Amino acid sequence: MGTIRFAASRRALTAAAPLALGMALAGCFNGGGDGGGDVSVIPTPTPTPTSTASPSGRDVSKCLSQVIPGTDGATPASLVIPDTIKLDLSKPSGFPNGRGLEDQSPDILLAVLFLDVNAPGQSPATFANLPLNPPANDRPFLATFPFVAPPQGTPPLAPGTGTTFNFRSDPDSAYVRVDREGQPAISTAVIGASLKNAYNDANPVNDAAGLFAPEIVKQLSALHDGLADDLTALGLKVCSS
Amino acid sequence: MPRATKVWFAGGAGVSAVAALLLIPGQLALSADHIDPPARTDPAFDTTPDIPADIADIYAFHDATKFYLILTFGGPAATNLPAFYDRDVLYNIDISTAAPGTSPEVAIKVKFGPGSAPGEWGVSVAHVPGVNGDIVGPVENVLSKDGVRVYAGLRDDPFFFDSQGLKESRAMGTIRFDKNRNFFGGKNITTVAIEIPKDRFPASGQLDVWATTARFGGQI
Repeated sequence: MGTIRFAASRRALTAAAPLALGMALAGCFNGGGDGGGDVSVIPTPTPTPTSTASPSGRDVSKCLSQVIPGTDGATPASLVIPDTIKLDLSKPSGFPNGRGLEDQSPDILLAVLFLDVNAPGQSPATFANLPLNPPANDRPFLATFPFVAPPQGTPPLAPGTGTTFNFRSDPDSAYVRVDREGQPAISTAVIGASLKNAYNDANPVNDAAGLFAPEIVKQLSALHDGLADDLTALGLKVCSS
Repeated sequence: MPRATKVWFAGGAGVSAVAALLLIPGQLALSADHIDPPARTDPAFDTTPDIPADIADIYAFHDATKFYLILTFGGPAATNLPAFYDRDVLYNIDISTAAPGTSPEVAIKVKFGPGSAPGEWGVSVAHVPGVNGDIVGPVENVLSKDGVRVYAGLRDDPFFFDSQGLKESRAMGTIRFDKNRNFFGGKNITTVAIEIPKDRFPASGQLDVWATTARFGGQI
């Protein structure tokens, strides 16, 4: 995990999103934070300390706009807005160019969202190299398709037989959206509780229009409020100010 | 209507028991996408969590000749639980092959359906580029059609992350990660994997990949 390979063009972030980001930043620093429970995404009925603390409102604009080394100009903002996995088949596979089973995608995402990844001695792999989180799965992946390890324990398995099955043939319009995922952890980590359903009901076109950019800025700023001092104390250069 | 009437489990486990065994409500704070959105999938916030429609992860990667998609859902699940196959859930794996990357030129549809014998389940994968019709066959098998391979079944949860560390880091405002604490270790998850020849996609340029789920007749 020494290098990050990514060839996404800058087009991923549409013209509308930076505007929304700027507006959100202005809102953040005008005391726009409501201090309510939506600061926390933790699914617990009681507010967390950070949900009631008065945020210092760290500026995370550089975190979102910094160019990720090893990529073709990709930024954290272009990576997560729209909320899709980006993959160029002409470039080596490895997060953030695609997302493989073995990739330490959480540590890489945390690094590009919290650290100045262009500072001397720092990179998108800074956390992955420590590592911050477990660096590998607890079961080895298979070398061949379908790659994912067999189930653990002795769960009951479907027999794996049959030739005729009773599938629904209803049109898509008969179904109602439940969940959405593109990049790992975006909905769970930087979308507040009050917007979670809306985020999961939305589509990449809404992301690209900047619909959730203010929320991402707000949540990321709240995270930096709590953690920037610790990272600095560890000798790391954070991307917020 | 209790969701037990709408969901078919391969092992016949009761739904309330499944929800209780699957996770401790509210314990899993942050993950890839497991148990999110909480109001629809977390027992702490929803008396009828839609576990089969709860996406855990979407992976997209490639090697010299193949492009791979892996979608996981219904977990992390305890290792005594069966897979979560549900006839009423539609799984969409969307791929944009052209700018601005927000409309799915490729819209793969995955469904599950019960077979004629007890416990049998089949998977149907539609709209894969270069495949004439749907890829259909029993779960727990590698299926092949027109150069594409499909697997659906119960597997080890491939995600590894210290969810508790991120939860505590948020709540306490201090770094709390532990590299030896993997919330997803020792857990299983229902999995769909698809292998497609790379030459059915543009040779260069950006693909955008995302997944959604939807339930027939509305959310539970």
